Amino acid sequence: MVVKKRERLEIIRDILKVIRGSRAIKPTRLLYASNLSPQMFKDYINELLDKKFIEFKEDKDGKKEFSLMKKGQEFLEKYKIIEEFVGGFGL
Amino acid sequence: MMYLYEWVVENKEFLKIFYALVIGLICAIITIESHRLFKLSFHQGIRYFRNAFLFYGLAFVTRYLVGNVFLYMGIKEYCFITRIAFEFFLIMAGFFLLYSLLWKRFEGEKNYRSSLFNLPIMIFYLMTIIIINLDYTWNKYAFMFFSQFVIFSIASLISYNNYIKNKGKHKFLKFYFLAIVLSFIGWLLNFLLVIWIGWSQGILMNIYGLNIIIFLLFLYGVIKITRRK
Repeated sequence: MVVKKRERLEIIRDILKVIRGSRAIKPTRLLYASNLSPQMFKDYINELLDKKFIEFKEDKDGKKEFSLMKKGQEFLEKYKIIEEFVGGFGL
Repeated sequence: MMYLYEWVVENKEFLKIFYALVIGLICAIITIESHRLFKLSFHQGIRYFRNAFLFYGLAFVTRYLVGNVFLYMGIKEYCFITRIAFEFFLIMAGFFLLYSLLWKRFEGEKNYRSSLFNLPIMIFYLMTIIIINLDYTWNKYAFMFFSQFVIFSIASLISYNNYIKNKGKHKFLKFYFLAIVLSFIGWLLNFLLVIWIGWSQGILMNIYGLNIIIFLLFLYGVIKITRRK
């Protein structure tokens, strides 16, 4: 069986869905759940942090977690529209 | 019918302003809606699609609104500038629309910072300047029409291929293909008119009508997709 390579938008959706599903998630757990290579994971996470889709928090005990921001939530809500727009216009 | 034709020819300047306003408004809505989606997705294809309609809007508003204002003010030397600006925006809009279908093959995961100043777009600017110069030298729009004829023949093939490959998953693809084919027919008619027949007000008005239908088709797609719940 040939497995279709995920598109950039699908990868972003998958990462954000995992974060939303667990409210806050540790970097290593997110890496495993995202099914990406460590380098690709780093690139995507940096992009999502940069664009304020997610935030990174570290508490006093050194516990590190990612959580979803408003823009990331909005992306997930509008994902179907974005996907339809890209597909409908062949972009 | 004859009466209608006479009325159209008599009021052609007024109709041109109305035409520019309608197309300008359609392009503004498409630009705003696609810009919203781009700001959320950072998808390069949506970005180039948005640029295409921004440039189409600027082209029509410059040519028929600003151009007419200069004409009524009696400053004909500025009409020359609006003609060049119109040609520049229109050719670049065609390139942006075509590139929105092709960007993945050229850019991959590159993600250029600017969609107005990057290598492929710079090449399009250069080609546009050459086309404008050729038209200026020959004092005709023939090269512009020919460039659009070539752009839309390639775009027709790509959108047909997308439509066939898609197998009904995205319903708007068939309308998109139709809009691109109608654009191709429109540019072909323009090209044939300017080369062999010469400008006829009657045919020109029909081309304006066809253009409005094409832009309405694009607007229909954008609204239908972006307004869904």
